[in-house]
Amino acid sequence: MTLEHKVRGVDHTAFPTFDPAGTVRFYRDVLGFPVVHSICAAGWGPENHPDFIHFFFDIGNDDRIAFFYYFGLEPVHDHERGDVYAGFGPDVPEFFVRSRHLAIHVDDQDDLLEYRRRLDDSSWPVEMQIQHETIESIYTHDPNGYMVEFTRAMRPVTPQEDLDANLTIDALLDVVAEPEPSFGKLLARKAELIVARAADWEAGASAATGDAVAQV
Amino acid sequence: MTALYVLDVPENTTVAKVAAEAGAAVGKVGPYFEITADESIVVDRRATGCRHAVWYSCVAGVAGGRIVQHDKDALRVDPA
Repeated sequence: MTLEHKVRGVDHTAFPTFDPAGTVRFYRDVLGFPVVHSICAAGWGPENHPDFIHFFFDIGNDDRIAFFYYFGLEPVHDHERGDVYAGFGPDVPEFFVRSRHLAIHVDDQDDLLEYRRRLDDSSWPVEMQIQHETIESIYTHDPNGYMVEFTRAMRPVTPQEDLDANLTIDALLDVVAEPEPSFGKLLARKAELIVARAADWEAGASAATGDAVAQV
Repeated sequence: MTALYVLDVPENTTVAKVAAEAGAAVGKVGPYFEITADESIVVDRRATGCRHAVWYSCVAGVAGGRIVQHDKDALRVDPA
């Protein structure tokens, strides 16, 4: 049975910063994200928690990105790779270091290019602009080293892509439950699920992506 | 028989078309193209017009065979 989906997006996602001035310049002054909330908190608790400021920027849709600035806390690592939260040595592959990011949605190319202009006029210019054929994105790193993406869809997501995503995940769970999961094993398992479950699928019948279709 | 499944979305349609031109049979299973052949299935990447993001994520499933080539030139599925 399907669980009712009652959540309403991102309330906030939070990151530490050692550079509140740069962070405010980047999010408020360069990107134009309003400051919508902040908490000035005296340190408390058992760990000698420092006094801190917890401040929030609106990223659209009433969703928010938030930061913690801790008075007196020095940077917690000195790795050159990564961000202020996590640093990585040379043994960690670059694709892994670059995997974690926040992607902010815009409606169309005009809006994407507007944010590109704002970033390119700042100390944090766009590092990459990529059309992935179905989406177009720009990327930069904020003053804390966190990767930020702006993205727009080049066409609406189709209902069959929801079906495909669900078959992928079911196939993935099956192959990671066995020894030595691989891409080839996933594609073989997914082919079985397609044959078993996709034939009866009809656009608009979203239940077909879930429990209403017999499990294989 | 070797079967290659490709989701029917706009950017994938040329993959099925090029496979058919190369001799494979193309049917449908729900919203998927089912591309089948007794021998190998070969799809020329340049003929599809796909760039890398779509090309390297166009395969939904493989039955009765395995992918032996999936690079900038071609996708090739050989019988198991």
